[in-house]
This record gives sequence, C-alpha cells and structure tokens, in this order.
Amino acid sequence: MIANIGNLAVWEWFKLRRRWMLWILLLFALLFAQLAVWGTFFSYNGVKETGGELTVPASLQQQQGRIPRTVRCNDLLSGDVARQPIDLDTQVVAGLRAQCQQQAAALPARLARGYSNFTLPGSIPSALGTVQTLGLILMAILTASAIGIDYGAGTLRSVLTQGTGRWPYLTAKLITLALLALLGLVVAVASVAVSSTVASGLAGAAPAPAGTAATWSDAGIALLKAWVSLIPYIALTAFVTVVARSSAAGMAIGLGYYFFEQLIVALFSNLFSWFQNVADFLLVRNISAWTGAAGGFPGTAALPDATQAIIVLGVYTLVLGGVAFWLFERRDVQGATGGG
Amino acid sequence: MGISDHVVETTGLTKRYGDVVAVNDLTLRVPRGGVFGFLGPNGSGKTTTMGMLLGLVHATSGQAHIFGDSAFHPATLRRVGAMVETPTFYPYLTGRANLRYFQAIGRRGSPADIDRLLKLVDLGKRADSKFSTYSLGMKQRLGVALALLGDPELVFLDEPTNGLDPAGVVEVRELIRELGTGGRTVVLSSHLLAETELVCDNVAVLSRGKLIAQGTIKELLREHDALRLRTTDDAAARTVLGTLPWVESVDQQDGTLLVAAPQARAWEVARALADRQIYVNELVPVHRTLEEFFMEITGTDPNTGREKS
Repeated sequence: MIANIGNLAVWEWFKLRRRWMLWILLLFALLFAQLAVWGTFFSYNGVKETGGELTVPASLQQQQGRIPRTVRCNDLLSGDVARQPIDLDTQVVAGLRAQCQQQAAALPARLARGYSNFTLPGSIPSALGTVQTLGLILMAILTASAIGIDYGAGTLRSVLTQGTGRWPYLTAKLITLALLALLGLVVAVASVAVSSTVASGLAGAAPAPAGTAATWSDAGIALLKAWVSLIPYIALTAFVTVVARSSAAGMAIGLGYYFFEQLIVALFSNLFSWFQNVADFLLVRNISAWTGAAGGFPGTAALPDATQAIIVLGVYTLVLGGVAFWLFERRDVQGATGGG
Repeated sequence: MGISDHVVETTGLTKRYGDVVAVNDLTLRVPRGGVFGFLGPNGSGKTTTMGMLLGLVHATSGQAHIFGDSAFHPATLRRVGAMVETPTFYPYLTGRANLRYFQAIGRRGSPADIDRLLKLVDLGKRADSKFSTYSLGMKQRLGVALALLGDPELVFLDEPTNGLDPAGVVEVRELIRELGTGGRTVVLSSHLLAETELVCDNVAVLSRGKLIAQGTIKELLREHDALRLRTTDDAAARTVLGTLPWVESVDQQDGTLLVAAPQARAWEVARALADRQIYVNELVPVHRTLEEFFMEITGTDPNTGREKS
C-alpha cells in the first residue's frame, strides 16, 4: 500500500511539473521572498542615511497651499545651518527636533533590527512571514488545480480504472502537494539566503547589536511553522474541490476564505464580545497565531496562543481531509466530465 | 459452461438514482474469450453497468465478479483494460506522456509497450503532440491504446469507433476481432449494430436497465428466423399456418406472408399447405440482421433510435 502511494506520488509530480502553473506560482513566491529582503534592505539604508524622516502636515507650514513634506532627522540634528528647513516656523522646527531626538535614542535598536531582517539568519523568518500569507493563496490555487483537473478533464475515470484505488490516489496527491509546499518554501529560503548574502555585503558594517538577534534555530523553526501552517489550508481547498468537483470552486473558496474570515472577525468582534470566543477557533486566525504573524485586520483582539493554534489546525486538517476522503471514496464517478 | 468459464458474472446487480432504476436486477455472464457485445439503446444502463464493473459506480445492491474476484477491487482492475465513454486524458500532456503516466500508476506492462501501442493505433507520428490538439478520432484511438496497456485479459470498450472515419472504423473493427483471439475477452458496447454483428460472438441486450436477451448471435437470430411465402391462397394459408404449434406468427407483408418459424421446418410448412390444396409459389428463408432483432426486442423506433414508450 505504501509502495502504491509512493508510486502515485512520484507520478503526480510527473504531471505537476509539466504544468506552467507550478512554475509561475513558484516564481511569485520567489519574488515575494526577494521583496521581503530588498524592501528591508532599502528601508534600513534609508533610516541609516536620514536618521528617520518626519512628515510635516500642511497646516504647520507657513505658506498656504502647501502639501505635506518630510524632513530628515539627521538634517535637523546636525546643527548645520544650511541643512535646516527654512520654510518652517522655528517653533515647529523645535518640536520636530525634539521628536528626532527621541527617535535617535531608539535608532541603534531600529537599525540593528532592520539589519537583522535582511541578513542571515534573521532574513529567513522575516521573509517567511511575508511569503507565508502568499503561500496560503498559492497553495490554494495549486491544490484546487491539481485535484480539480481530474473532474474538469474527466481523467478521474481513466485513473481509477487503472486499479489505483481511490484513497491511495487522493493520499498521494495530498502528500505531493504538501511536499511541494515544503520544497517551495525551501527554494524561497535558498533564494533569500543568496540575496541576504549580497545585501549584507552592500550594507557594509553591521550596526551595534541590540536586543536578541534571530538565530539559525529560529530560522529552522520559522520554516517548519510556515510549512505546517499550509497543511490545513491544503486540506480546506482539497475539501471544497472534492465537494464541488471543481477546481474553480476550490480556488474561489481557498482564496476568498482568507480575506472573508478576517473581515468577519474584524466586523463581529467589534459588534459582539462573545464572537471573540468563536474567532479563536477560526482557521486563518489560528494559522496566524501558529506562525506568530501579525494577522488579522486592525482592531481585532489578540491571537490565540500557539499551543491552542496547533491543536485547532490539527482538528481542521483531520475533519476537512476526512470528509474529502469520505466523499471521494463513496461517490460515483460518471458523466462525460468525470464528476465523481 | 462452468463458473470459471465466465470472466464477468453479475447477480442481481442494481443501481438506483433516487426513484430512477438505471440497472435493474442484472444477472449477466460474459464467457471467457472472444468478443462480447453489450447492446442497448441510449439510457438502457450499459455504461452504468460498465461503471459498476470497473469500480466507478457503486452498486445499490447485487454482486459483480470479474475473474471470480470482487469487481471493485483494485487488484482485479489491474487485469482489466477499459475505455468508457469519451476517452479522458490530461490535455497538457502529450499522447505518449499520458500513456506513460497511466502505465506507471497502474503498473501495467513496461514503458517499452507504449511505442508499440501508439503504432498499433496509428498515433506514432502524433505521439509527442499534446492531447488537447488531438482530433476526436485520435482521442478515441489513444483511448483504445490505454485500454490495451499491460495486455489485459479483459477489455471493456465503450463505443470505440465514435469519431472515426470509415477507414478508422474498419481498422478498429479488425483490431477488436484480433483482440478477441488468444483467450482474451473484449466486452464491446456499441450502437453500430452492423459492426457489432461482424465482430461479436455473444451479445447481451439491455433495455430500460433490464437484461432482455443474452446468447450467441447465431442462437438469438435463429430464434427469430422466418420464412417468406407466396401461395395460391394467402388468406387460407394464414389460417392453416396459424394452427401449427411451432409457428409463432403469420403476417401479411408486401404481398407475401411472413411466417415466424424455424427455417429447418420449411418443408413441413409446404406440406401442411399442400395437404389443404394450397400450393407454395415461393418460399424464401428470411435471415434477420442483428439490427432488426435489436429494434424488435428493445422496441426501438428505427427513425429516432429511441425506445418506444
């Protein structure tokens, strides 16, 4: 049985790797991972160069019709007359300078944190935090497509008449998808490692360390957590695709649910206090809680703890996956479109 | 014929969809070897029966066995090849890659068989084109190749000549005839009855989900043999022949009498009439085609091809 599932998984990969979709989704994941590294790098450079910037609203500017403008803290604090803003009231400038002095005190820690986020190993958890949300969406698309094609093209009929068995076939598909999710994350991490090395070279000397920097162990845990967080979402999409016998439905629900849940939580948590108890058992909130992501729309309450999150995610995976398997096993496969 | 001589056996096989009975208490025996015709009008339950035998459709009740084992078991299915309804393949894979995939997941034969099968169904030159670019006939031929992967002992072919040009139909007919030799069994479902008659040894006829006839074509057609007569007094002849116990019916047709009776008793017909001073001017044995037999027992309207309600 295990050999049969292993064989089916190998040949699922044979099919998947011949689809453009897989490589396009991977490209998106890599782009977002790179965006996380280089976005942090440029932000770090900006803060380092300017000492932080403050926005001056139009109402505080002397001339009418002005638009909000920014001033650099390094200019304000330099004492160099030529670098002081000449179009601002001296009291406004004094206020801005006071703010900059406050920022300057926190600047070393901010720079150290920023530097850590684009250099190894801290860049890995940082980038995974960015890729993880996208990862849910990409895996929803891939899962719905990989399972749904057998309904859309009617190939389920041809597959099952080969004597593969139903549940071994679905198991092999889900295992392949889970392994591809891990592979995608590993490739994204590898690309982050390469670009982090380049970025740290470009950034020059590291700022003085402040606080606790991320370790390689943190990077490994972040990778594992990001992968585990994708599993229940794969189960959700597989469930919808099997129930609806359609990749389009799987994709639509897989993509839409992520935003729908957060919208509902934001809306109802503010209207009904009891809803917070319900929200703590919803899928996306527990994914966010598990990965330690900020998660949720502004105004929503604190996330559940990680232990509860992994239990809830486990239950979601078992229930959604279990129903998908049950339906896949017992439903008839018939009709020209191979509905089953 | 012993139990082991049947590759497919069903007992009381039934499939209901709510109030609709698609297959009703079907007890079918498919003998080992040769080509078995599985006939019936559209909606008679042929494809549902094949689906149940191939594990695609769950039976509501009854039993189905292939080679004496449960029909739905994956290990049993690995000994069976099938093309049910329109062949379905992955559109983004080539014909060759599709066959390679199915060969590998079903562990049927070896990759080396694929080229041979592609050549057999005349797809050698288009083997590396994507399936989505294939014409209906090419898809059909690839479906036949899929059914033959691993040289199965039993092959189900559902309308294998759909979409083929006349030359293709002849090729597939010859192929099916060849497949039915050497101990292999081919279960052929087709609405082309003339084609079926040319290749099948045995047939089963389904109508509204029920088995209404089963046997060798020769036997079935012989049961419905007839004699065409022209006599000196047709009206009197009808009366005389109507009294004979082995004459099923006597009809007036195009100025002749059509007598449903065994052709071997033609001489008795002539003698019975002569005894009453009615003389036969013309006596011709009428051989009915499978199509005529089918239309009659299924009550199919020859103009619409549908069962009369």
